[in-house]
Amino acid sequence: MSSTAIFGGWIAVFLTLGIFSYLYKDNPFYKIAEHLFVGISAGYWTAIFFWTQIQPNLFGRLWPTKEFSGESLWYKFYNGLSWISTSVFPAGGIDKGHDMHLIYLVPFALGIMMLLSLIPKISWFARWGIAYTVGMAAGLRAYGYLNSNVIGQIKGTAASFSDPNLPFFSLTSPSIFNSIVILVGTITGLLYFYFSKEHKGILGKASKVGIYFLMISFGASFGFAVMGRISLLIGRFVDLIKYSSAEYFNASFWVLAIMIIILGYDAFSNRKPPVNEDVI
Amino acid sequence: MRTIENFILKFGQVDRRWIFLVLAIVVIIPILNPIGMPIRPTETTQVVYDAIEALPENSNVLLSVEYSPSTKPENHPMTISILRHFFRNGHKVFVTCLWPDGQFMAQDALKQVADEEFGKVYGVDYVFLGFRPGNEAVVKGIVSNIRKLYTVDVYQTKIDEIPLMDGITNFRDFAFLFSSSAGYPGTIEWVQYAADPTGVPMSSGVTSIQVNEVMPYVQAGQMKGVLAGMPGAAEYEALIGQKGSATSGMDAQSVAHLVIVLFIILGNAAYFIERKRFRKY
Repeated sequence: MSSTAIFGGWIAVFLTLGIFSYLYKDNPFYKIAEHLFVGISAGYWTAIFFWTQIQPNLFGRLWPTKEFSGESLWYKFYNGLSWISTSVFPAGGIDKGHDMHLIYLVPFALGIMMLLSLIPKISWFARWGIAYTVGMAAGLRAYGYLNSNVIGQIKGTAASFSDPNLPFFSLTSPSIFNSIVILVGTITGLLYFYFSKEHKGILGKASKVGIYFLMISFGASFGFAVMGRISLLIGRFVDLIKYSSAEYFNASFWVLAIMIIILGYDAFSNRKPPVNEDVI
Repeated sequence: MRTIENFILKFGQVDRRWIFLVLAIVVIIPILNPIGMPIRPTETTQVVYDAIEALPENSNVLLSVEYSPSTKPENHPMTISILRHFFRNGHKVFVTCLWPDGQFMAQDALKQVADEEFGKVYGVDYVFLGFRPGNEAVVKGIVSNIRKLYTVDVYQTKIDEIPLMDGITNFRDFAFLFSSSAGYPGTIEWVQYAADPTGVPMSSGVTSIQVNEVMPYVQAGQMKGVLAGMPGAAEYEALIGQKGSATSGMDAQSVAHLVIVLFIILGNAAYFIERKRFRKY
């Protein structure tokens, strides 16, 4: 076993137990783990975004190797950028298989505008970039939602009734009964969110049925959420058991013992003195 | 009766940290001493298996990895089992990631299954295209022109120089998609922007918390089955006949569920007894 793997094991144990220690109470171990997680995540995401999108797909399309010419003003400017970093702007252009597309200057400019939000005086520039992103995302999602979530779901709810081979009742496979349940659940669930008329009479009864369907759905969601959290707990425990082996110098036991001693000492030294009832 | 009620009331006031400790103990014990509870595949899992079995040999299949280490215990066993199934049936596997962390999750799974277990050749039997930021825009990009989006693979090799990429231009060139997903962007975006518009069949493996969100697409036939959380992964391991970490975690899962149900019953009983006594006085 390499020393880096052992060291990694100790780090993993410390961070896992540091996060778990929050179940006892907020403490410095938890704070260290939390801040490390936030910082490393932000750094990792930034690096990945830059090296998988901005450098190859943006800069790679603005200054591709294919069209490199030392004489052109555009590439002379690029050579100037190489002075900043040769790994981002290597000599002779960026070789990622792209042709030159100067239209990419538009998203480049919008991206820079978004970063200008950090300068209060010209922060309004950021609105242009945000406006573009919001417009593009809204347009892109509208079609997907309409096609899959509205039309596709209506088709799925209705289709089963037209099948003559469908059994009337089945617990595990599609049946007419299941289709009726889905249909009633969909309609009554929608009626519960219809607020233009007071929920009285038939509408009141139907929306009440809708509430029951919603409650069943929330119950199922809660059950799945619990299952998911337990799965993650199992995953961490499996790793802690692995790192408790002699191969890792019993990392789990040592880190756990040290944490318990420090937190125990802290609790002992900061305990409140007993209240003297006679004085009160 | 009064004694039982008092006991339940006392239980309802117990410090939550004792409950955490009990839960930790009941999870650890079955991990150390497995009970070996039977695992039967549910219909949704069986459908995923059957859909992959029905693919003709040498099919081009796309595997999209969109999860991070935080959901590794649920998603990783699914990815590993699906990769085993793909390679066992002689399919050509193309791997993409919608999450940046998915990149090293996929790398880990490919190293274990493609390289160590099956000895597959990179660029001939499988390709690792990696992560691209852009969420649903990436899915749209794969659907319209994958070569425009991925000019290089994860190792910075040009796509044109990879033999397996010959003849692959867009999503329609794939016979099947499996999305191993832990949230947004993930399975739902693949259904909305890839599977539904093109008709290419897809399945998914999702975290437990996502099951309710994804199930309507399965019921409506927009997806071919789903692997639901760790139990789904364990069921798939049983179907391909190769046990893994999901199977070993299922004993702990079952025992923990029993204890949680017991806590919920006792907690509610304490609440109702307290309310009854409060009304009385």
